[in-house]
Amino acid sequence: MTAVSSTAGGGAGPQNVFMDQFNLEARTQRVWDINHAIWFTLMGVGGGVFLAGRILNLTEGLGYVLGIPTVDVVSFLAIAVGGAILVADLGRPLQAWRAFVNVRTSWISWGAWSDLIFLVVAGLLVLPALSLGGSEPFSGLGWDPHGGDGGGLALEIIAGVAAVVVMTYAGAVLARPRAIPYWNSPAVPLQFLLSSAAMSVAVVMLIEVIAGEPVTAGQMVLLAVLTAALLVATVAHLLTRTTEPGKRESLDRLLKGQYRRLFVGLVVAAGTALPLVLAVVGAAASGARDALAVLCFLLLVPGGFWLRLLTLRVGIFPPVHIPGVGGPRSVAMPAGG
Amino acid sequence: MTRWGMVIDAARCVGCQACTVACKTENQSPLDAWYAPVIEWEEGEFPDATLNYLPVLCNHCEDAPCVTACPSGALTRRDDGIVMANEDVCIGSRACMTACPYGALHFFEDRGTVAVEGAPAEAVPSVPERYAHQRHVRGAVSKCTYCAHKIDFGLENGLEVGVHPLATPACVVTCPAECRIFGDLDDPDSNVSQYLAGHGGGEVLRPDAKTLPSTQYVGLP
Repeated sequence: MTAVSSTAGGGAGPQNVFMDQFNLEARTQRVWDINHAIWFTLMGVGGGVFLAGRILNLTEGLGYVLGIPTVDVVSFLAIAVGGAILVADLGRPLQAWRAFVNVRTSWISWGAWSDLIFLVVAGLLVLPALSLGGSEPFSGLGWDPHGGDGGGLALEIIAGVAAVVVMTYAGAVLARPRAIPYWNSPAVPLQFLLSSAAMSVAVVMLIEVIAGEPVTAGQMVLLAVLTAALLVATVAHLLTRTTEPGKRESLDRLLKGQYRRLFVGLVVAAGTALPLVLAVVGAAASGARDALAVLCFLLLVPGGFWLRLLTLRVGIFPPVHIPGVGGPRSVAMPAGG
Repeated sequence: MTRWGMVIDAARCVGCQACTVACKTENQSPLDAWYAPVIEWEEGEFPDATLNYLPVLCNHCEDAPCVTACPSGALTRRDDGIVMANEDVCIGSRACMTACPYGALHFFEDRGTVAVEGAPAEAVPSVPERYAHQRHVRGAVSKCTYCAHKIDFGLENGLEVGVHPLATPACVVTCPAECRIFGDLDDPDSNVSQYLAGHGGGEVLRPDAKTLPSTQYVGLP
């Protein structure tokens, strides 16, 4: 094949905003951008902080807001704000309730349900602890808000499962269709899950530092494991299907082109590898643990946001047809009927 | 079972964009939405350069990723294989646009429309369903429907779909080079099946996406 160039808006750039549809070129998706990156990040942190607070047994002792543990308040706020951004970004926000309809196949519907279930069930779980003006109007509800009895534990488990879906579904939304090769990989939801978990542990550690509680070596080890796994998932994603049309262009932008500094610098080095090193150091050096925890938070959260934003921005559709490369004959219709 | 499909003989296309405009006129698509454009590109270097044309539109896939991704159920696949967008049900998540390998879905931003003001949204008895498809909803996604309103009109009135101009997609009717053929892919005697058979079968765009399109091609560059 010889050189292919577009006559409709190629070379000097598109002649008008519509013309890229008429080109036989790789096409960058432009429909999801910074708003989606923000709510992907907030959902990840929201679900993760709820889980991290419970797994690390930190729901108590880190302060309370209206009787509700601070970690849970942070979790609810993150998911509520993320959900509000999501709804505001819809073309028809007043129709947002319809996002719950297609649970059979749509990951967005799964996400909508998991957000709702999480907020309702986790909200119910902590409701008995709610303190308003010195009184606890819901203390009569029949479960322990810390999951210490059967009812509380059941609510905690349901909320926990919903939280895992909340942390993962944004990646699954991107990974399922084959249209954009860079997204179409199990590595994307895995990256989002691991990034959410690492950010959440960092957020919980920051709350610990603010509350004057000691960050433990075990928490640093957990953070090290999560960031190491995130690094492996990221590198594995970068090393697979590297020559595939569409993904090749995505990788070029991330590793050589306009996003190189942001991706290699902010996401991989500062946002993943450096927190890994700091967490390993923090696990051994108890004296510097608080400072290292704050540093990990400052690195991991922006890193997680940029991971999501750059993943969206390098979403590239390959050309609908590559001249000279024929597809299989009659996929849907055998010759001769 | 009927499965409507289109065969596009790319070798016949002369790049006049009549289909692009006919579609726009028929469907009154929003200002920046082109449901059936013709892609063109230059290949080679002077003096051995060639100008190629590739008409594209919604592929009405059997395994339609837009339908799978749509959270609201606005995108559905009819029994006859046509993928429809119900703009009144669409929430504007644009998940379909990131899921479609062909760029066949269009988000109607609040940037104006070429639709005639006052075009009736409801069916008019004298022209059944004639204008309902021309009403577009801001903040929703719209797409090519193979001119389903014309197909349905033809079936209701005993016209031969894919042959009679009132029962055939506008892009097919208007094409001066007759590079588009529309008919029933499941009927071995139909015009599309016969055309495919005569050309050793058809090819599809983005075969890697495994969407099983009902829009097939012969004579691809």
